[in-house]
Amino acid sequence: MKGTRQSDLAYTLYLEVPFKTAKQAETAVKVLKPDPILKPQDFHVEYSSKAHNLCVSFEGVDDRVLRVGVSSVIESIKTIIETIDEFSH
Amino acid sequence: MVNLNSVPPKNGQCYLALGLEGSANKLGVGIIKHPFLSKHENSDLSHYCEMEILSNIRDTYVTPPGEGFLPRDTARHHRNWVVRLVRRALQEANVSDPSQLDTICFTKGPGMGAPLHSVVILARTLSIMWDVPLVGVNHCVGHIEMGREITKAENPVVLYVSGGNTQVIAYSENCYRIFGETLDIAIGNCLDRFARTLKIPNEPSPGFNIEQLAKKSLNKQDLVELPYTVKGMDLSMSGILGYVDSLAKDLFNKNTKNKILFDPKTGEQLVTVEDICYSLQENLFAMLVEITERAMAHVNSNQVLIVGGVGCNVRLQEMMATMCRDRSNGQVHATDERFCIDNGVMIAQAGLLQFRMGNVVKDLSETVVTQKFRTDEVYVAWRE
Repeated sequence: MKGTRQSDLAYTLYLEVPFKTAKQAETAVKVLKPDPILKPQDFHVEYSSKAHNLCVSFEGVDDRVLRVGVSSVIESIKTIIETIDEFSH
Repeated sequence: MVNLNSVPPKNGQCYLALGLEGSANKLGVGIIKHPFLSKHENSDLSHYCEMEILSNIRDTYVTPPGEGFLPRDTARHHRNWVVRLVRRALQEANVSDPSQLDTICFTKGPGMGAPLHSVVILARTLSIMWDVPLVGVNHCVGHIEMGREITKAENPVVLYVSGGNTQVIAYSENCYRIFGETLDIAIGNCLDRFARTLKIPNEPSPGFNIEQLAKKSLNKQDLVELPYTVKGMDLSMSGILGYVDSLAKDLFNKNTKNKILFDPKTGEQLVTVEDICYSLQENLFAMLVEITERAMAHVNSNQVLIVGGVGCNVRLQEMMATMCRDRSNGQVHATDERFCIDNGVMIAQAGLLQFRMGNVVKDLSETVVTQKFRTDEVYVAWRE
């Protein structure tokens, strides 16, 4: 995807989720990144990692779109955390 | 000739594959093993991989009687269970070091978006953690390859009947071509929704419960007449569903004006729920047998392979066998519920064939799941 959009969506949220290692945070970014947003004109997500943290910034056209989008990403993050937790020893 | 050994296995002796399936209400995790044999180097033996199933675990999201499964709830079920199922599958298969796996296979589509997505998130995470390549599998091709390996049918006409799909398929030139299919709803969907109207349990599966009711019909020689809707090589089933639904409702409401169900003079009930179930099955399956037979005539084949959840139905297998017996030397191949109903092993089997032909995911952007993914879009490199 091209990064040509302007950030003109009014409703925003920034999340930081701490992981144990920087590598785990990078894994989360790689896992989350591929999925396209269904309505890019209404909602944006950007994933990055900073040290041990997964950083996610959301932008939505209204609070409902933002809430729905954020909760779906959080569900995915929960699966990633559970997987890492269960299978890294 | 096909070389299935172009990518050697990690340990030099056998391939190990993990399969993850979650396109509908079943969540399946399976682990399989293929021995690394020289006969696969230059042959056409993709139905004879000598597959060994190390584990095959499934958990079904069952809804209360009268209700279907919704994407959001199904996805939540999958997320709740998937990590635990993978753990159990690894334990059962005795895979202590998962980085020994050659590939992780997941369902790319077709299916419900949210459940598919919940599983692919896990697949990507495992792939990165264990450094094992991913393979995205077409769900229908999974059913076909599983059926071929289990039954050893080399080049059958495939009848794929499940809750979401109804297709008659034949292989030709590296492609599973669709000869006929449903124009509206799938046969399993038709049966499931009728089960909802009857308010019968969805456990173990709605279709199974209809099959049991149909067996109890005491009036098998007098079929309730239903619409018979074969359209060339295709089928239509929504009208039949609407019709049997209205019959069932008249029966429950004791609508004695309905002359099919009640004697117009005495008001005596002529037809039971069991009779309707029986007639519905006979009617639908007769339609399937008809188009399957026509496909067999087209491609000059005498083998049928029945796959998909509805494929466990013993009555369907019987009717297909009768048709095949009447054709010269025909055979029906079917599997039981372990393999018919969606499972992880089938995804592992089709995925491992893809892997052995060198077709793996190179970038995670290729792992985006898709609700629509037709059987004939897949390039079947592992067959001649």
